[in-house]
Formats: sequence, C-alpha cells, structure tokens
Amino acid sequence: MLNNRITAFFIMSTIMLSTVFASPDISGYYRNYIGGFINGDYSIIQNALNLNIESSGSNYAFKVNPYIYSYDDKPLEMGVREAYVDLYFDSVDLRIGKQQIIWGKADGVFITDVISPKNMSDFLLPDFEEIRTGITAIKYNYYFEDSTLEIVGVPYFTPTQMPESGSPWLLSPSFPVKPTYDYSQKKVPAQLANGEVFVKYSALNSLMDYELMFGSMWDDDPTMHVDKTISASMVTAITVTPKHHRLNLVGGSISTELLGVVLRAESAYYQGKYFNSNNPSLLDGVIQKDYIHSLLGVDGSLWGMTMSGQWISKMILNYDNSIVNDEVDNTLTLMIRKDLLRETLHLELFSYLGLNNSDALIRPKVTYDLDDGVKIIAGANWFIGTTGVFGSYDANDMVYTKVQVSF
Amino acid sequence: MNKIKLGVLLVLCVASVAVFAKEITGLKVIENVYNRPTAKDQSSDLTMTLINRRGDSRTRKIKQFLKVYANEEKKIMFFVSPSDVKNTSFMNISYNDESKPDDQWIFLPALKKVKRISSESSSDSFMGSDFTYDDLGERHPNEDTHKILRTETLQNEECFVVESIPKDKEELYSKTVTWIIKDKWIGLKKEFYDEDEELLKMLTNESYKKVSNYWVIVNSTMANVQSGHRTEMKLENLELDKGIEDGQFSERMMKRGL
Repeated sequence: MLNNRITAFFIMSTIMLSTVFASPDISGYYRNYIGGFINGDYSIIQNALNLNIESSGSNYAFKVNPYIYSYDDKPLEMGVREAYVDLYFDSVDLRIGKQQIIWGKADGVFITDVISPKNMSDFLLPDFEEIRTGITAIKYNYYFEDSTLEIVGVPYFTPTQMPESGSPWLLSPSFPVKPTYDYSQKKVPAQLANGEVFVKYSALNSLMDYELMFGSMWDDDPTMHVDKTISASMVTAITVTPKHHRLNLVGGSISTELLGVVLRAESAYYQGKYFNSNNPSLLDGVIQKDYIHSLLGVDGSLWGMTMSGQWISKMILNYDNSIVNDEVDNTLTLMIRKDLLRETLHLELFSYLGLNNSDALIRPKVTYDLDDGVKIIAGANWFIGTTGVFGSYDANDMVYTKVQVSF
Repeated sequence: MNKIKLGVLLVLCVASVAVFAKEITGLKVIENVYNRPTAKDQSSDLTMTLINRRGDSRTRKIKQFLKVYANEEKKIMFFVSPSDVKNTSFMNISYNDESKPDDQWIFLPALKKVKRISSESSSDSFMGSDFTYDDLGERHPNEDTHKILRTETLQNEECFVVESIPKDKEELYSKTVTWIIKDKWIGLKKEFYDEDEELLKMLTNESYKKVSNYWVIVNSTMANVQSGHRTEMKLENLELDKGIEDGQFSERMMKRGL
C-alpha cells in the first residue's frame, strides 16, 4: 500500500503542478496496432493514446506521461509511465517522482541498464519506451567539467511485469507433476530497508564516453524455489515459490569512434544471483553464483545503410554442472537500416541470434512517413528454433501493422 | 610626355593586376571565406522547408546554439518540429585540425540516452533535406585543390568564381564551384557536381545581412537539379556574441532540451 500511496502522491502532485502553475505543452501520439500469429492462434487489436504533458522554466520542469490502451477483447488499460518534477541548480539536477532511468551503451540488451524494470507482457516486442517501467525514485545529478555523478535512490522495489496467465508470451517451466505455486514470498515489503541504490560516474569527451556504475538492488526476475516431495524415488508433489533476492553489481561501459565506426563495450559483474539447479540435494533447487554479463558492439555505415552489431555473453562463475542455465550463453544482435525517399521510407531488420540454442528472433519492419507525424508500419516477428529464449516462442511468428499519428 | 605618363600608368596597372593575380589564389580566396570574422557564439531558430517536384512541402524547425573555441567549434541543435522528432537533440564538435574527425552525439527521447554516432555519415542527408551534414558544416580549405576560374558579377556583386576539387577522390562531390563576393568573402552561389561531373545541386544564398559587425547568410536554397527537389533554409532570431555558457554544449543540456 505504501508504494501505491507514494506513486499516487507524486503523480497527483506533478499533474497539479504542471497544469496549475504553468501552461503545459501537450504532445504525444495515437497508435493503432493490429497483429496476429501466422498460425491463427492469437490476434491483437490495440489502440493506444500516449500523452506527454510538460512544462519547464529556467530552474524547473514537470512531466506527466499518461497512457491508455484499449483492446477488442480486454478491459481498458490506463496508467502513468512517468510523472516527475525536475529542479535545476548550478551544478546539480534533481528529478523526483515516477521516471524511466536508462543507463549503459547497449541497444536492446539490459546489462547495466537495470534500474527501470521491464514490462515483459508482450516479450521484447513493444517499443523500448513501453518495455521499461517507470519507477518512483529520486535522481541526483552533479555535473563537473565533462563528468557527471548520478545517484539514484529507489524507495521500494518494482519487479519485472510478467505476461498474464493465458498469454501466449507466458512460458511455464515443465515439471514431472503439476506444481503448486506459493506466492507468499513473492512480494518484497515496501520498506526503506528494502530500497535500492545506484551510483554512476560518467564522462563524455572527445576521446570516449564512459560510465562506471554500482548497484545494490533486487533481482527484478523472481527465482523459482522448487520444493519436491519424493516418495519411493518418485516425485509426488512440487511446490514452486517465486522469490526475489538482493543483488549487487558493478559495471561500466565505453563508447568511442575509430576509423569511422563507433565501438561500444559494456560489462557488469553480478554478485549473488540465484540459479535453478537439477541437483536433488540442493535445498529449494537453487544455487547462488556470481556472473558476468558483457557486450561488444560496433555501429557504422556501409553501402548507404546504417548497421549495428552486438555480441553479448553471459558467463556464470564457479559453474556447477547441475545449473539449468549454460555456463556461457552467447547472443548476437544485428540491425540494418536503410532510409529511402528522403527519409520517408525506412527499411529495418533487427535480429537476436542465440548461439547456444541456434534460435533467433528476426524482426523486419517497413516504415513509411505518410506526412509529418503520420507513419505507417508493417512488420513481422519471426521466431526460429525450438529451445532457448527465442526458440521457445517458435509458434508465435506474427505479422502486424501500425498506424501512428504524432501531435 | 603624356604618352610616357600613359605608358607608366599602363605598366603600373598591368603590374598591379599581375601582383594581385599572383597574391590571390583560389586557396587564398577560400581561406578568406573560411577565416572571415564570425561571432564567438550564436543562437538562432532554423526553419527548413523541403519542397518536392510537385510543390508539396514539409517543414522542420530547429533551435541551434554554436560557440567557437581556439581549436574547435561546438554546435548543439534541438529539434522542435515535426512532432515525431520533437525533443531530439544533436551535438557536434568539429576541430581546426582537419585530420581529426568530428565528434557527434544524438539524444533520442524515446531511448532516453545520449548515443555517440559516427561522423562518417556526414555525406548523408540532414533530416531528409537537400543538405548533407557536410554541407552544413565548414569545410577546411586544405581538403580541396582550389582554382580561380574567372571573375563575374552576380546580384550586383563582383565575385571570384572558384573551382574546388577534393583531394580525397572518395568524396561525395567530384567538384564544387563557388561564387564569392570579393570584398565581403561570402559565398553567393555554389554548384555541387556528382561523381560523373554532372551538376547535382545548386546552393543560392538569397539574403545576407550584417549583424553585430558580422556578415550572416539568413536565407538560402539548396536545389537538387537532378531530382527537382529543393530545400529552403531560413535563420531567425539570430543572437551573436551573447556569451553562451560552455555548459550549453553538454550531455546535460542534450537531455534537458529547450
């Protein structure tokens, strides 16, 4: 209840400030989204309204970002993505309220970008602005020369939003018998002692841009503690208890230009992550290990096309063979984009390629700017493989169209 | 006696023309343009109107700030319209050392982060206009070989007509020809030739004025003669030497916006 009250307080305060004390600037978009699985098992008709209500002065700014989604087969969904107040001082900025905070140099991959939890209701398919969940936080920025010290305090924990029951994007782990779920420990009590703190030092200069960060946080994804009842060498009952655990991480990222291409690197050391294990002697079927999540990326232009490639590696340290996850998990991403007709027609291909399971998500997209602020999008999401993060959705190949009007 | 005086005068005239011609080379003319006194800093509202062959138009509005330092020039642009690019910002640092490439960053509000981008794409179109990123920046005189083709009167101004050929054969244009006003060192017109040495684009500077003792071009049109598309560019609310703070050219301001 406390977290709801804090969020409501910030949202209402920001709305009142932005509408009463200053004449707000209102922008946003309306979007119609129609999509369906190629196998006919699922379809979506969604109309979205996204508003940005903003106002600013020389030493302050307000922003409220409400949204509404309407569906043909579901109740209206309304919310506020962001609602914050900015206060500007000589060398310090303060942002207080519900906000999305993005760190790191990776595109479409979350390594040091761990502050705003994800909304995975529709897997990784929505725009990244919609995947990231706003969190109530206080963000302090101190600027000196070309450097910035950023400290973020999150008073209570917000987990990853998982797909609803019955959603085609919900993956249920397989067990020998039907499990019973115990959600009694899933929620992290909203107390300051359960808050999260993140610190980042960053600099942007001619030689390179870099970030060094530290986080004391909760794992956004719950660990599934599995308690098995065994009788006569047979599993007769399973109780699954989702539970969030604290994590510490240190990391950093750099970006620089060399020989006409931009090189990016990002890495984080996660301390205290719980992994599921097949070792029957382990309590709750979990084991605690540290891991390193890293990325190397390159951006450039070739034959008039914008290209970007990333290699991502997740390595569990002091690996135990009973761990369900691979010791090293490698993924590639590839983005190719071509702008035509004076940047009114855009062809884009974005792909995730899982190297461990030979699976992939291929996302071709065509965008045509019918007029300033009016765009038509047609695309596809093609899942390849049978296992792995992407192959598990092999049945979910889909095509879609979107019409978006910005104002 | 008069014939002698006339002869001496003629010799002096010929000699002075010879000296003038010897001193003023194509490189010198372009250097004079490059080194023309400019404000230490400036801010302005830039409006670009993109007009296609059928006469349909689209408008882009930008607020821009520029500051000149001893060895570099910093520029930051905030996109005001159209609505789908609003709050996008772009920062560029160019260096006097022509061997050093520009540093460029872009802030996309949907991604909420500042990204370094490659300056190699400087020959790409700027926001779908007929200007490339390179066209909008200053080109160092040493990057081309310059030759005065002739002098010519254009818009009642005496101009040098200078041909500039890139030393790097991989450049977007095979050559440019520029009409430069002799006493003001302002380019009035510029032709851009494609790799087949066919005329590709023509830049016309329609109006310029003196603001705070500096010559500033306020209206120009870049026309693509091959496609029939053109872009009109207008500078308004120009403020020079107002002492823009160094902090204006920073990641902080890119994210904050206008």
